[in-house]
Parts: sequence; structure tokens; C-alpha cells
Amino acid sequence: MAAIAVHKFAQCITCHAWSPDLSMVAFCPNSTEVHIYKLLQDKWEKVHVLQKHDQIVSGIDWSASSNRIVTASHDRNSYVWNLEGSEWVPTLVILRLNRAALCVQWSPKENKFAVGSGAKTVCVCYYEQENNWWVSKLIRKRHDSSVTGVAWHPNNIFLATTSTDGKCRVFSTFIKGVDTKDSRTGPTSDSKFGEQIVQLDLSFSWAFGVKWSPSGNTLAYVGHNSMIYFVDDVGPSPLAQNVAFRDLPLRDVLFVSERMAIGVGFDCSPMVFAADDRGIWSFIRFLGERKVTSSGSTYGSQFSEAFGKLYGGQTKHGVSNDAVEPSRSRGGIHENCINCILPLRRPDISTTTRFSTSGLDGKVVIWDLENQADLSDYL
Amino acid sequence: MAATGGFVEADNAEAIITRIEHKSRKIESLLKQLKPVEALKTALEGSPPMTRDERCKSANWIVVHRALMAIKDVDGMLTSLDPEYHDILMKYLYRGLSTGDRPTCDQCLRIHEKLTEKAGLGCILRSLADTVNTV
Repeated sequence: MAAIAVHKFAQCITCHAWSPDLSMVAFCPNSTEVHIYKLLQDKWEKVHVLQKHDQIVSGIDWSASSNRIVTASHDRNSYVWNLEGSEWVPTLVILRLNRAALCVQWSPKENKFAVGSGAKTVCVCYYEQENNWWVSKLIRKRHDSSVTGVAWHPNNIFLATTSTDGKCRVFSTFIKGVDTKDSRTGPTSDSKFGEQIVQLDLSFSWAFGVKWSPSGNTLAYVGHNSMIYFVDDVGPSPLAQNVAFRDLPLRDVLFVSERMAIGVGFDCSPMVFAADDRGIWSFIRFLGERKVTSSGSTYGSQFSEAFGKLYGGQTKHGVSNDAVEPSRSRGGIHENCINCILPLRRPDISTTTRFSTSGLDGKVVIWDLENQADLSDYL
Repeated sequence: MAATGGFVEADNAEAIITRIEHKSRKIESLLKQLKPVEALKTALEGSPPMTRDERCKSANWIVVHRALMAIKDVDGMLTSLDPEYHDILMKYLYRGLSTGDRPTCDQCLRIHEKLTEKAGLGCILRSLADTVNTV
């Protein structure tokens, strides 16, 4: 079985993040708070509540080596939380935004973090020692709509963004005094802060969730039109592949290896995409038991299920008793849209076969690809 | 932006209309030879016209509509239609449904059901989410 642990923490989870040793999970239960749970004697116990934001927390990232948490919220601010003793102490980061912050991610070296926002801008924040202050530098006037996703290239310089204008862009975020010259490599070595490396105009509808492959050679992002895009040779002449699939659109994507990516979204079940020997990407299968039904009946049940999801969530399962019991009929583990997927990397093991997903059903699910024989070739 | 775009497209539109007329004649002859699937494929080829000109879009819709209404065996049609045409066909089905014309809607709904079975909800999403290449 691909799902090895399922925990229902809340009614709804907007985003989650893991502590460096994976013993704690931080998530936002669709409120202004961030809850941190720890596994104590086989039971998850609430150990901290981070209270500072005024509106829904839309992004959390927990840095692996410096053990700091960064949160972004619809209240237009970010906080960097440091553990001092047994208390998490927040530091306000003034992002200088006039719209909600939507997503946040630490850079690989953890000396910067990026925030995407509804103000059509991306903030790249770095720490200024002399002022004891996180400074926010903006990439302005590049996006035509909200920035829904940010992803750092392993080189700590390139930042990929997705936006509801349907485009995926890659920027240089070189900051003098923070980044060193030698970390700039390749043909775009003389790029300044905010310079656009490439703009990918593949989707004609909203783009969400963007990720780099572990080596940084391939970029993947998803569109709201049930498509996923894989881009090689990100630079002056990128090579793009569009993969259309027959189910509901994705919200986020994660590379588990150079040749395999997991997509999650409105279909409630993670989808596996993989590249064959020639590098052609295609949809492989769903993860988790999904009842194989004849195509005729899936049509009906998928529809009523989608509607059940839409209205059932708000009317407290008022609709779920008619005809089809939502999701359970399909044997899915998540019962609502999945909007967050994270790798579970232990510092001592280099490969990721485990990852976690969270969604609007309030569950955090841990998945393992170890015993999936048909997928082991792609790992 | 629309105004400057319109000027450029003015001569272009004539060329597109000519092409659609040519397509229309080809479809008529295919229908006479009782090849409705071939006719539909011909109609869907090069659709939607690469323009914002509503006249071109309407002209192309008339041609597609002609071929669409001639389809009797929906299952057979979908078996021989390449998957690459699914998304564009779905867009025209929604255009058909928006006309409110009874026989057109009947036919579009019939095809819509079978096409969704075959191409999934993703196909519907792709045709509805694309606000740039409208038919």
C-alpha cells in the first residue's frame, strides 16, 4: 500500500511543513494560527501554536539546517520564527505588499526566502546582519496576475514562479553581499536581481505549483486545464512537453527523481508521471487504491462526486447521503482537493521515496514508493 | 490593443474566410460520399481559426456544425477520431449547446456524453479553461 500513515488533524489544512528530523509537523488549520504537532509515543500531540498572523496562513516552510520556520499569510506579512528555549519567537518581515501573500519557500542555502503574492509581485527576502532585520526585495511588473507558486533552483539563484496569468517564469535573484560570484554558473552568469531568464507561455489558464527536479535540469508546473508541463534546458531555448490527462486538474507537483514526478490536486489521488528512456513524459497511474470501474459509471460518479465535494464540504455532508457516497466509493485516501505535497528527506538518505500530502479534508498523508514494483525503474 | 490587432487581422480574415469556404466545399463532397467522420475531421482541422475576428469564428462554426449534425454513429465516430481532436471537438460541443437550438443541443449532448466517457473530465476542463483560443 502506497499510503503508510493517515492523520486527520483538522477540518481543513491550507499548507504544512516538516521539521528537519521529521518528528514534528507544522500546519495551518485554515485559520490565523500555525499548529505544530509532535509524535509522542505513537500519538500526535499539539506542542506549539504560532499566533501572530491576522488572516489565513497561506504558506509555511521549515528550513532543514537552520531550523527556522517562515510563514506567509493573507494579512500581507511574513514572520520568521526562531526556536529560543522552548518558545518560537517571531520576527516580522515587512514584505511591502498591498495584497495577500500566497506561498513561501526557503532557498536551498536558507539565506533567502521567496514569497509569491496577489499583488503580482514576488518578494525575495534576505537577512541583514547589521540591522538584525529581514529585507524584502521585490520583483515587480513582471507578472500580469497573482503569483501562485515559487520554486528555488538548487543553485540558490534561479527562482521559478507560476501565476494565474498562465505563465511560468524564471528569474535571477542574485543579491550582492548575500550570494557569491562563484555560485553563478552557466550562460546566464551575469544576470542581475530580478532579471527574467525565461518566460514559458504554455498554459492558457491559471498555472499553479512549480518544482525543479533534484538536479535542476527539469522544471514542472501544472495548469488549471488538466495539463502538466515539463520543461528541459531552461534558458534561451527551452524544450517543453505538455501532458494532458483525463482527470481533474492538479494543484501541485513534486519530483521524486529525475524521471518521476507526483502530481496532486482536485482528483484527490496523487498521480504518477514518468519519463521513458527517450525522455518523453506521460501519465503512469494513480497512487493508492482507486477502484477500477468501467468508464461508463465513472462518468456519473465523478460528476456527482465533484458536486458532492463542492457543496458537501460547506453544508456539513448534507449532500453526501444521496446516491453516491463521495470519494469513499472510489477508495481514495484524501476526500477532498490536495493542495500541498512535500518530500520527506532524511539527512542521511539521499533518495526520496517518501512524501506527504495535505488537503482541504484536513488530513496529512504519508506515502511511500518503496514497494511499488512497477515504479521502481523510475526512481 | 484590440483596435490595432483588428487592422492587422482585416486582410488576414479574408484569407481565413476563403480557406473556410474551401473547407466547406470539401465537407459537402465528403458528406455526399457518406463519409461523415472524414467530414468532421476536415471541419476540425485548423480550428479554431487563429484570429479574434468573430466572422471567421462563426463561419468556421457553421462548417463544423454541418459536419457535426451529419454524425449518426457517435461511438464509431469517436473510435476513428484521433485523441488530438477531442479537446477542440469539446469546445464546439459547448458552442453548440450555447445556441439553444433543439436539434443541435440534442446532438451535442449525445456526443458530449460519449466524448466525456472517452476523454474524461480533463477534456471538459481544457475546453472551458482556455479563454484564449475560443471557437
